[in-house]
Amino acid sequence: MYYKPHQNIKTSKADVNLSAMEVFQAFESDESTANEQYLDKIMAVSGKVRDVSKNEEGIVSVTLDAGQDMFGVICQLDQLSKHPREDFPIGEEVSFKGVCTGMLMDVVLVRCVEMN
Amino acid sequence: MTIGLSEVQAQKYFTREGKISFYSDTPIEKIEAHNQKATCVLDVASGRMEFAVLVKAFQFEKALMQEHFNENYMESGEFPKSVFKGQIADVDGIDFSKDGTYDVTVEGELTIHGIAQTVSTPGQITVAGDTISATAKFETKPENHGIKIPSVVRKNIAEVVQIDVNVALEPFKK
Repeated sequence: MYYKPHQNIKTSKADVNLSAMEVFQAFESDESTANEQYLDKIMAVSGKVRDVSKNEEGIVSVTLDAGQDMFGVICQLDQLSKHPREDFPIGEEVSFKGVCTGMLMDVVLVRCVEMN
Repeated sequence: MTIGLSEVQAQKYFTREGKISFYSDTPIEKIEAHNQKATCVLDVASGRMEFAVLVKAFQFEKALMQEHFNENYMESGEFPKSVFKGQIADVDGIDFSKDGTYDVTVEGELTIHGIAQTVSTPGQITVAGDTISATAKFETKPENHGIKIPSVVRKNIAEVVQIDVNVALEPFKK
């Protein structure tokens, strides 16, 4: 039990399936209800790539457009999974699934993998 | 995170990719967790600084530790964010228009598990062109934030947990 592995996101079924716009709207209009509904859930989210960044440790984050001026849905790629690609052209329509952790300025999903 | 976006001007620096790690070292167990998605805003005119982090975005090596951390200790379903709001005490001594490194003191309120504590801690500001890097180390006791640790595992968790903050801030542009 002590060495219980982290959940395998690739083989896990998404609990919810939403567009980046719907996710952002849900958190923006009523954050505490959205927290109750979505925190810790495996969320499949789709949208247009707005920004891609890679930090100094090589962790890639993809921001999906949520129809907002400044904020979106950030999908941080899973460090425990292999990714077929880590380069996503701006404007491309993509889908990720990952664990929903809540909203700061953006809604943040961690442990994301791309869905086909 | 509450920043008045309408008031955001050029003297504000910002990141959404701040790194926050914490460390609990005891002879029995070393625990660490990392989060690369902290937001931070610094107003260089006033020295006001805020950062915020989603508790569930901390990643541990061991899944079970991560589960205990979220469910038993931080109760992150109820308290999803941890926040610091404060001030660089000696901001007047920093020339943000020139490259350089400054030792500073950061003072403010650290809210973890829904409970705010007043803190003062050393930090460092490095100005390099358009980027301002800031690091700080906080130390706090879980009990100060109303986190109850069962006596059977009390020796596995440090009395004082160290929190490292490392952010690279860029001018806030709309």
